[in-house]
Amino acid sequence: MNVLFAIATGIMFALGVFQLLRRDLIKTAMGFYILFTAINFLLLAVGAFDGQIAAYVDANNQTAAQPSDPLVQALILTAIVISFGSYALLTAFIVVSSRRFRTVSTDGIDRLQR
Amino acid sequence: MNVLILGTIFIPLGAAAVSLLFARYLKVQHWLGFLAGVGAWLCSLGVLAANLESGPQVYRLGGWPTPFGIVLVADLLASIFAVMSTTVVAAGLLYALGCKDKVVSYPTFMPLFLCMGAGLNGALFTGDIFTLFVFIELMVIASVVLVAISDNRLGLEAAIKYLLISSMGTLFLLIGIGALYATFGTLTMADIARLLASGERPLLAQAAAVMLMCAFLLKSAVFPFHFWQPDFHTTAPTPVHSVLSSVVVKVGIYGLIRLITLMFIAEARLIENLLLILGVISIFFGSLGALRTYDAKRMLAYSTFGQIGFILVGIGWGAPLALAGALVYAVNHSFIKSALLMITGTISSRTLGKTARLSEIGGVGQKLVYTSGLYFVGGIALAGVPPLNGFISKVTLVQAGIAVEGWLVLGLAVGAGIITLLYMMRTWQLIFQQEPDEHTKTKPAGDSLLAPTLLIALCLGLGLYAAPLIDLANRVVAQIGEPQLYIQAVLGG
Repeated sequence: MNVLFAIATGIMFALGVFQLLRRDLIKTAMGFYILFTAINFLLLAVGAFDGQIAAYVDANNQTAAQPSDPLVQALILTAIVISFGSYALLTAFIVVSSRRFRTVSTDGIDRLQR
Repeated sequence: MNVLILGTIFIPLGAAAVSLLFARYLKVQHWLGFLAGVGAWLCSLGVLAANLESGPQVYRLGGWPTPFGIVLVADLLASIFAVMSTTVVAAGLLYALGCKDKVVSYPTFMPLFLCMGAGLNGALFTGDIFTLFVFIELMVIASVVLVAISDNRLGLEAAIKYLLISSMGTLFLLIGIGALYATFGTLTMADIARLLASGERPLLAQAAAVMLMCAFLLKSAVFPFHFWQPDFHTTAPTPVHSVLSSVVVKVGIYGLIRLITLMFIAEARLIENLLLILGVISIFFGSLGALRTYDAKRMLAYSTFGQIGFILVGIGWGAPLALAGALVYAVNHSFIKSALLMITGTISSRTLGKTARLSEIGGVGQKLVYTSGLYFVGGIALAGVPPLNGFISKVTLVQAGIAVEGWLVLGLAVGAGIITLLYMMRTWQLIFQQEPDEHTKTKPAGDSLLAPTLLIALCLGLGLYAAPLIDLANRVVAQIGEPQLYIQAVLGG
C-alpha cells in the first residue's frame, strides 16, 4: 500500500510539473491544480498509515488499536481551501487576460519585457 | 500584555471585514482602514515594549497547551520586524488616503490592503510552521489581487506570473512542512528546535531545511529566484508597491534568520556560506539591473533586489555583530525604500499616463523644489551618505565585515554601494534637474506628500540618533543567540 501510494504521488508530481510548463495558460492552470493535489497526497502519506481506527475521541474505546493521526487531515483541509482559492483566482485572471490580450498562450503575454 | 500580539493581526483583519460593509462610503472605509493601520502599529510598539521589559511574549490561541494548539510568539526578532512592517503599512495607508489612482477608489482596495498587512504580521508572529504557510498565502493572494487591479494594465500579466511562481514557493514550503512533520510529529517551531537540538538529525529533516530555504529565498527574491520581482513590483499601485518592495520581501529574510538561529543551528555554517554567495550575486545583479533600466519604479524594484543582497551578506557572515548589522540594514532599508517609492509615485501621478518611464517623466519635477529635496535626501540615504540612516546601516555592516575579516566580500559590497549612488543621482538629475520636453504635459496636482515626508523625517532621525536602533539590534542578536530562551518561553519550562 505504501509503495503504491508513493508511486502514485510521484506520478502526480511528474504530471503536474509537465503540465505546468506547457505554453497554454489553461494547461498551466491544470498543472497547478494537479501539483497541489499531489501535495495533499504527500501530506496524507505523512501520517495516515500510522493508525488502525478512526481518529475521533471515543470514551468507550476498548480496543488497543492505535487511532490514526487527525492533524494531517486538518492540514490537508486547510491546504485544499487555500489551493482552491488560488486556483479560482488564477482561472479568473486567465479569463480576464484572454479578453485583454486576446490570447491564452504564454508567448503572447510578454509585454512587460519590452 | 500578550493580547497585543492578537491586536497586530486581528485589528487589520477585523477592519478589513468591517470595511466591506462600508463599500459605498469610500471616505469612511479609507479612514477606518487608516485607523486600523495605526492601531496595529501601536499594538506592535506595545509588543516591543513588553518584550524589552519581560522577555518573549507568548499567546496560546484557544488556550490549548503548546505542542497541540497554535501559538503566537513575539520574541525580539519578530517584534522588531513587526514594528518595521506596521510602520510601513500605516504609511502606505496614509499615502492611499491622498492618492488619486483609480484603484484606490475601488471598494475592495482597502480590505485587500488590510489583509496584506494582517498576513504580514501573522507570518512574523506565528510560532507554528503551518500557520506561517497560511499567513504567507493570505499575504500573497491579497497582494496578487491588488496588482491585478492596478491602474497599469500590464499588472494582470505580472499577477499571473507571480501567482504561478509564488505557488511553486508554497509547494516547497508545504513539502518542507510535510517532511518536518513526518520526522518529528510536531509543527511548533520551538518543539522542532528542541527535538533537533537533542536528537540526531535524520536525512529527511535536512531535506526539509533545503525546501524551506528555497521557499524563503523565493519570497524575498534572492538571485536564482528573483525574476518575478521587478515585473510584479513595477506594475503594482504606488501604496502597494511601497509595502511590497520594502517589507513583504523581508518576510523571507525573517524566515531565513529563524531557520538558522532557531531550528537548524548545526547546519547554519553551510547555509550561511550559501547565503553569502547568493547575496554577493544579488548585489551585483540588482545594482547593475537598476543602472540599465528604463523606468523609475522598476529601478527601485531592482534596487530592492540589490539591497536584499547586502542583508544576506550580513546574515552570511554569521557573527553576532554581522547579524546585528543585517537587522539594522533591513529596518533602515524599509523606511528609505518605501519613502522613495512614494515620492516616485507622486511624480508619476503628475504625468498624464501615470507612468514612471524615464523617457516620459524627465523634467516633470523641475519646479517641485520640495519633492526634489525629499527625493535627493532619500537617494543619498539609500546610497549610504552621512548623516542619514543608510550610512548607519552601511557602517555597521562594514564594521562587521572587518571584524570577521571577510575582505573579498566586503570589497565587493562596498564597491557595489557606489553603483547605488550612481543610479539614484542619475534618476534624480533626470527627473528634477532637466528641462522638460515641450510635449510633456503635467497635471497641476499630484498625490499627497505627507506620508513620504514622515518617512524621510524618520530616516533623518534614525541617522542622527542611531544608537537606540543599534542597541536594539544587539539585544535581538543576543536573544536569538540563545534559542533556549525561545524554546522555554513557548513550551513552558
